[in-house]
Amino acid sequence: MPPAIAALALTRTFDGFTAVDHIDLAVEPGQFFGFLGPNGAGKSTTIKMLTGLLAPSSGSIQILGQDLFSNPIDVKRHIGVVPEGMALFGKLTAREYLLFVGRMYGLDKTTAAQRAAELLEFMGLANEPKKLIADYSHGMGKKLALAAAVIHGPKVLFLDEPFEGVDAIAANTLKTMLQSMIARGATIFLTSHVLEIVERLCSHIAIIHRGHIVANGSLDELRAGVQARLTPTAEPGFTADPTARLTLEQIFLNVVGGQNGSQPGITHPEQELAWLS
Amino acid sequence: MAQLDTPWTPQQTRSQFAAVAWLRWRITVNSLRRKGGASELVGRIFLYLIFAAITLFFVVGAAAAAFYLASEGHLPRIAWLLWGTFVLCQFLNIQLGQPGTTFDPTQLIRFPIRRRTYTSIRLFFGILSPANIVGTLISLAIAVGTSIAVPSLWFYALITLSIFAATNVFFTRMIFAWVDRWLSTRRAREVFTGLIFAVSIAIQWANFNFNPAYNHGHSTHERISPQHLHRVASFYHQARPILAIFPPELTSASLLAAHHHDLPHFVARTLGCALFGALFLAIFALRMATEFRGELLSNAASAATTSGLKPSSTHATQSFIPSAASSTTFGISTIITALLGKELLYLRRHMGILYGLLMPILLVLFFAGRYASASHSEWIFPAAVGYTLLAVAPLSYNAFGFEATGSQLYFLAPVRISDVLLAKNLFSFLMASVEVLAVFAIITYMSGLPSLQTAIAAILWAAGTLAINSVFGNRRSFSTPKKINPLRMANKQTSQLSALISLGVLALSAAIAAGAFLLCALLHAQWLVIPIAAAFATVGILIYTRSLRSIDTFALAHREPLFAELCKQT
Repeated sequence: MPPAIAALALTRTFDGFTAVDHIDLAVEPGQFFGFLGPNGAGKSTTIKMLTGLLAPSSGSIQILGQDLFSNPIDVKRHIGVVPEGMALFGKLTAREYLLFVGRMYGLDKTTAAQRAAELLEFMGLANEPKKLIADYSHGMGKKLALAAAVIHGPKVLFLDEPFEGVDAIAANTLKTMLQSMIARGATIFLTSHVLEIVERLCSHIAIIHRGHIVANGSLDELRAGVQARLTPTAEPGFTADPTARLTLEQIFLNVVGGQNGSQPGITHPEQELAWLS
Repeated sequence: MAQLDTPWTPQQTRSQFAAVAWLRWRITVNSLRRKGGASELVGRIFLYLIFAAITLFFVVGAAAAAFYLASEGHLPRIAWLLWGTFVLCQFLNIQLGQPGTTFDPTQLIRFPIRRRTYTSIRLFFGILSPANIVGTLISLAIAVGTSIAVPSLWFYALITLSIFAATNVFFTRMIFAWVDRWLSTRRAREVFTGLIFAVSIAIQWANFNFNPAYNHGHSTHERISPQHLHRVASFYHQARPILAIFPPELTSASLLAAHHHDLPHFVARTLGCALFGALFLAIFALRMATEFRGELLSNAASAATTSGLKPSSTHATQSFIPSAASSTTFGISTIITALLGKELLYLRRHMGILYGLLMPILLVLFFAGRYASASHSEWIFPAAVGYTLLAVAPLSYNAFGFEATGSQLYFLAPVRISDVLLAKNLFSFLMASVEVLAVFAIITYMSGLPSLQTAIAAILWAAGTLAINSVFGNRRSFSTPKKINPLRMANKQTSQLSALISLGVLALSAAIAAGAFLLCALLHAQWLVIPIAAAFATVGILIYTRSLRSIDTFALAHREPLFAELCKQT
């Protein structure tokens, strides 16, 4: 079975600046894949290329075994996306928006209407049917964007910061939905800065830094790798507890911090800012 | 830490002013550096030149009128000019709005800024609106005209008219500061847009009915008879005791007092006008004080949805694999029908566009009534069709402007951009059809049925023109998109250059049509206009079809600037 998402030597440059530099990715079907990186690392650029919002400078992308650029329509029928800007239409109500999106993805009117009603109820957005999206809070917009991304039952779902600005109750709703999608065989590609959520949801993780993939594997593989790296390089007095489980935050800081050339796991940026109180 | 321990200095306040001025400058410069910035600059320069010419006309006219009134000893009538200046400023404010500030100046309150500084910044930020520039220049022109006629008045005229100009500017700033507050809800904005629309219609109606230029040679020109003028003058005299306390009358009265060497009265009346300015400034400052304390003006619900996760009352639908996107309903692709439905919803919910579409029809109603005669009937319908296209044509030049981030969906969904644009163009075509039908009904009612060949030729010409217009519009929608903020009044629908291109296409097309009509008239072969118009429409549609075939590639190549503009935060 081909990977759900496969990127080969994917590169994107902007006026001489290489935002994404020859990255290779392979996300297997059914994986909940977390794509992490510090600000400006190339996460959004990558997800935009994978979803067809941005043309790569070079490289290839295959979704479910089909080339994104030669079969864009076929590929897009099977993917759902919550992009960075959420792609909402402010002058529509939530129901109208979902109906519109459903029909744009080829659903018939009845199915689109039925799914829209279900999704609105599931997301807790059914209470104010006449409210325009322009009047929604950020969190409500996120929930609606996710509803729109799944209305056609995609096999692959791309989520760019889906939990940003979402309250705990709504986040729980989203997580429940995403986990049930995984249970039904969907593949989810997620970027988020909320590492606790990524750690809880994702089975596989890749970390991008300065346009390069600097870590890629299952959470356990990443943990083992960092653990192994920490032990021999530990400073005098530092004792790595082999039984302690590293959190994703610790892994992330080690991987990215290590790439920055500083001591793994030990960063003291405030030392550089002596004027801070 | 050392800087935080020292008291705030005036130098730091001045730095804040300089920083805001720099910010404004950089925003302007950076906007020109973007793709299409140079063409936008050319468009702006062209429009500024037109604006300067119109302003010059008013300025010279006001100076000449002031010179005439002062030299003829009618100094109190300078008040008429000043009332005219005031009304013109308000008219320009309504028609042109305030210049775009490109960022929300209320964001400044997050900085360590004094309320007084904030108020000053808000007062001067965006002060160079067309209305303020025109009002100030006309006021100064009146001072110049008066001074040339009566040189001894130059100093007094300069003082009192400068104060009048400042009062006028403060009035505008006050109104716009409060308008933002009043229009913080969508309903209020729609009502206000309706009011502006009604005022614009009333002005056009008055223009058509009372402007001699439109009444020359018509039986209705008696409407501006001496009786009418007498009635207006009588009303003015009755209202004068009340009007006398307002700035235009106070200013002219102060000039008269200066002319009579009555210094105390000059000072009193000039101060009276200045008091109005101070009052407007105080009301403006009151609004700024509220802004400074922090407030949120929006429709967004403050209360979170309390329902949370609700149990679904419906059973989960069965798994459904979306059909191919090209499936059809009544022979029309579902994509097209979905888009047409969405466009209709957007039209229903955008009062500005609705009014913009209604306006030409109402103007044709006024215009057709005035020119409804046998000698003109042949030209009225084609001219009216051309005029109504002015309302529809520019819309296709910024096809995604209202959708903002929503435009990303067209690149994420399994649809062809050519289908999206075809639907949008079809919707424009449908709107134009409704407009043309309404115009046809009005003209038939007012001046009888237009000749069949003229009607058919005009409709064919309109179809061809819209098709060619869409060719340019579709490309400009990608190359120079413009995010439209529905919360802001008087938002421009397209970039300046796109608006000019749209006008140019219509003008060129109208010239071709007029040439064809004239040629047929000269050849005494009026029947020829139909085949010529049909050929024009066919060529237009062929060009459009060819253009649509390559639009997907063009759209993909331009999606980055499109998203950069439409997905920006401010």
